[in-house]
Amino acid sequence: MLKNKYSSFSLQKRLLAIMIAVIFLFIVIFIKLFVVQILQGQTLQMRAISQWTRDLTMSGLRGNITDSTGEVLATSYTSYNVYVRASNVTDAEDVALNLSEILGVDYQTVLKKAKDRTSSEHLIKQQVSYDDARLILTKNLSGVYLTETSTRYYPFENLLSNVLGFCTVDNVGQAGLEAFYDSYLQGINGSTYTESDITGLEISSSTTSYTVGISGCTIELTIDVNIQQILQTIVDTAYLEQEAQGVHAIIMDATNGDILAMASSPSFDLNNPPRDDVESLMQSSKNSMITDIYEPGSTFKLFTLAAALEEGVTSLDEKFYDQGFRIVDGQKIKCWKTNGHGSQTLVEGVCNSCNSVFMDLGLRLGVDTLYSYLEKFGIGSKTGVDFAGESSGIMMDVDSVKNVDLARISFGQAIAVTPLQMLASVCGVLTGTLYQPRFVKSITSANGVTKEFSSVAKGQTVSSKTSEQILYMMEQVVSKSDGLYSFVPGYRIGGKTGTAQKYENGVVATGKYVSSFVGCYPVDDPKYVLLFCVDEPSAGQYYGSLVAAPYAKQIFSGLFDYLGIEPTNLDEDLEKLMETIEMPNLVGYSLTEAASIIKSMKLQYEIDGEGGYVVWQSVAPGEMLYENEIVLLKL
Amino acid sequence: MKFLSLAKKQKVFDEKLKTSFFYKGKHSINWYVLVPTIALVVLGIIMVYSASSYTAEQNYGNSMFFVQKQIIGAVLGLGVCAFCYFMNYNILIKLRYYALAVGIIFLCIVFIPGIGIESYGAKRWIGFGFFSFQASEIAKFCFIIFCAGYMAKNKDRLGTFKGALPVLCAGLVMCFLIMCEPNMSITLCVGALMLVMLLVGGIKIRHLFYLLIPIVIAIPILILIEPYRIDRILAFLDPWASPQGEGFQLIQSLYSLGSGGFFGVGLFNSRAKYSFLPFSESDFIFSIIGEELGLVGAVCVLVLFGILIIAGLNIAKKARTRFGCYLATGISAIIAIQVILNVMVVTGLVPPTGLPLPFVSAGSTSLVVFLASVGVLLNIHRQNTQNLSYMLFSPLKAN
Repeated sequence: MLKNKYSSFSLQKRLLAIMIAVIFLFIVIFIKLFVVQILQGQTLQMRAISQWTRDLTMSGLRGNITDSTGEVLATSYTSYNVYVRASNVTDAEDVALNLSEILGVDYQTVLKKAKDRTSSEHLIKQQVSYDDARLILTKNLSGVYLTETSTRYYPFENLLSNVLGFCTVDNVGQAGLEAFYDSYLQGINGSTYTESDITGLEISSSTTSYTVGISGCTIELTIDVNIQQILQTIVDTAYLEQEAQGVHAIIMDATNGDILAMASSPSFDLNNPPRDDVESLMQSSKNSMITDIYEPGSTFKLFTLAAALEEGVTSLDEKFYDQGFRIVDGQKIKCWKTNGHGSQTLVEGVCNSCNSVFMDLGLRLGVDTLYSYLEKFGIGSKTGVDFAGESSGIMMDVDSVKNVDLARISFGQAIAVTPLQMLASVCGVLTGTLYQPRFVKSITSANGVTKEFSSVAKGQTVSSKTSEQILYMMEQVVSKSDGLYSFVPGYRIGGKTGTAQKYENGVVATGKYVSSFVGCYPVDDPKYVLLFCVDEPSAGQYYGSLVAAPYAKQIFSGLFDYLGIEPTNLDEDLEKLMETIEMPNLVGYSLTEAASIIKSMKLQYEIDGEGGYVVWQSVAPGEMLYENEIVLLKL
Repeated sequence: MKFLSLAKKQKVFDEKLKTSFFYKGKHSINWYVLVPTIALVVLGIIMVYSASSYTAEQNYGNSMFFVQKQIIGAVLGLGVCAFCYFMNYNILIKLRYYALAVGIIFLCIVFIPGIGIESYGAKRWIGFGFFSFQASEIAKFCFIIFCAGYMAKNKDRLGTFKGALPVLCAGLVMCFLIMCEPNMSITLCVGALMLVMLLVGGIKIRHLFYLLIPIVIAIPILILIEPYRIDRILAFLDPWASPQGEGFQLIQSLYSLGSGGFFGVGLFNSRAKYSFLPFSESDFIFSIIGEELGLVGAVCVLVLFGILIIAGLNIAKKARTRFGCYLATGISAIIAIQVILNVMVVTGLVPPTGLPLPFVSAGSTSLVVFLASVGVLLNIHRQNTQNLSYMLFSPLKAN
């Protein structure tokens, strides 16, 4: 045994101490190893796997949108994103040349990306078609990669552009129904997990595992694409002919609130939304028939009428006298016809769209009663349509409504509604039941489970007697007055026109109107209800009867054609149209003389300007006119 | 009479022992040393292959790049090991000052441009054409030889501070030079080795504590000199704070170990080795062992090291000469220190620092030198077991 006399510990003890220290440290290590490998093992492994594997998304395709007949309005197909991984590129020039040729991208940009190794991957182009992707693959370019993605495709391009909306390039709903039903439409992405090294390079022994993507739900709309196409064609025509700011039209099924068609002009190609221009993208993203409000004008009179009939404050044959204005609380409120409609029954008043009659009705009802009816009709509240950004319209606060305001509201001024709200409320009045308008009928998941949505009735509006009376008068409007502009021979249509001045920044904008028409068919049991609005017509005319009604007629004709509804009493109706009147020459006559001639010929007239004598007439002498057609006279 | 003849024999033997280059005694192999060593070397070759084949293919176009070197190192190392077994370790005592000089010269050569090779911002290698080695790998064994020799020759002086001074100076000079490379981990190893040598050499425990005080003070200063060390330490405390930066290596190591679980993912099935874990074939090979062979494999490897170290210390205990005792202690200690430090780094017990795992990590210099030292251990054992009767009378034999 070795000993050390200077030490208090023997050498043996010192060696033993070293041994014990070694064993102690080994035990510490064992414990730590146990903690890391066993206790934390699972957690570490989970994290490790996510780092060690590269997952490539296999997009679950976005669901389709179909119309009520099953026609596909929006669909998705698989496309490819093209990437370049600079570190794997062997010939940057070759890569750039091929890609720029196939994909139509800039050669220099690709070249730069193919040489830039600062980032592992560079995106060259998104949503490349299958054919182009195949072409790239056949070139066998090293360093070029494709990932699967999908592209949204709208077969009808411009059709329903404000309704369907569109998606971002990453297939997230950005506007319209695409946005509203995004969570249903979104597919669930699948993935391929590939074992790779740190640079993302697949390792040779790698096993690739998959989770399959699930397609999004298919959404069936209430829209009928055939009706939509009819509507869109005519809306576009009106847009051009009336040189309007915009033309909007909606057809709703009054029996359940289904929106059958909803068209706007101008429209845009959904496959190519103006992504680069934020302002026009914003403009395109909204549906002004739901988000924007307008002053309805005379179409609103239907509501006053419904309330008055329901309350029994008037009857169809009550006589009214209109001298061209009413004085309410000392304020003179004019009828649109400055020299007055004279004596007329309620029915005639509706046909003449006489403001004075409705002022009387409104004042008889009083603010509270009228407001309670308007509330029942859905005015002043959102319709609850399945669409984002709906506006509820503007209504004066009930406590601040003076008689003057009440009189104006009664014929559709000093109140603002959205076109959809207007239409839904009209439907409510015509059928007696207010329905929540809707776009979506059913949603079907990828595995075939369908959820049908039933229509939502929001409440009763008026009695069937009142509805019948209103429908009768609306039929009178179409078949007896307004120059038969919306009259379709052989079919019983009801309608009402409206012309309202536009407000800009709270002030009446001179020369700017919204001309509109609401119509329904069949008039004895309304199903198809149409609202047609021309925003700022500037081709010379602005009366709803001239600017909106003729297009409504075309729409109804097209609708009957599509639905295969045969005309009834066609001969009688055609006879009515045969009863034409030859336009006399009125230039040079005094106003009173001209007025009496026109009245005797069963025509209507409007006056423009001040003066005693007619200097111009809108219809040339000798032209054939229908009964009650309107002639514009300049003094 | 018999006693006298034995004493005579012993004297003759001792004289021979001092001078003969080869030891002529009986063969006796300490299997507790040899078997773990061989096992670790073989495991090392397999694990180096597993850990490096992918990155070697990627970087050198040859998946066998590291394994070839490792096999050459193993063959060469076993040769040197055998040589050391056959030679007489006692002659090393005469070489103690040469050893010290060689160690220090090597450590200085590193700084000579053209010969010293810089990599990863540190000058650690000496290169002669195709052949290069890490100076500190050799220097630390030079230091052991010097310490053992000096302490054996001056066995009574270690109790005084003055007597311990040469060991201290040699150790500190080496530490300083290694730190200048810079190589913090080997510095720590040599420092720890120095303390073990002083302890076993008979330094007063009080003096040992005095020595520890400046070391404790030096650590924060060393950290402040090289700011990257702060980051390393912070990364060690919370590696997840900078998973892409300083914490990266430790996180990768933990991922690797954690994925192993009890029984591992199977030999050659590591995922961390696909360039995720830097230095997976050298400093962090233990992670790959833990991943592929699991906790069971990792513990087995540590048990092998444990057997080897304890056996080495036992040889020291039974050493017939002080020099042999000190030498065996030093060799066992450097193996123990490197194993413990390496595994602690890999498991996140101490801040990350680059240090190879003896016998296993890729690196032929390290392998050859460690195998040589095992040869010396075996040689000491062989001499311990000589059944000479003089041992009964005079076990206390210096030199």
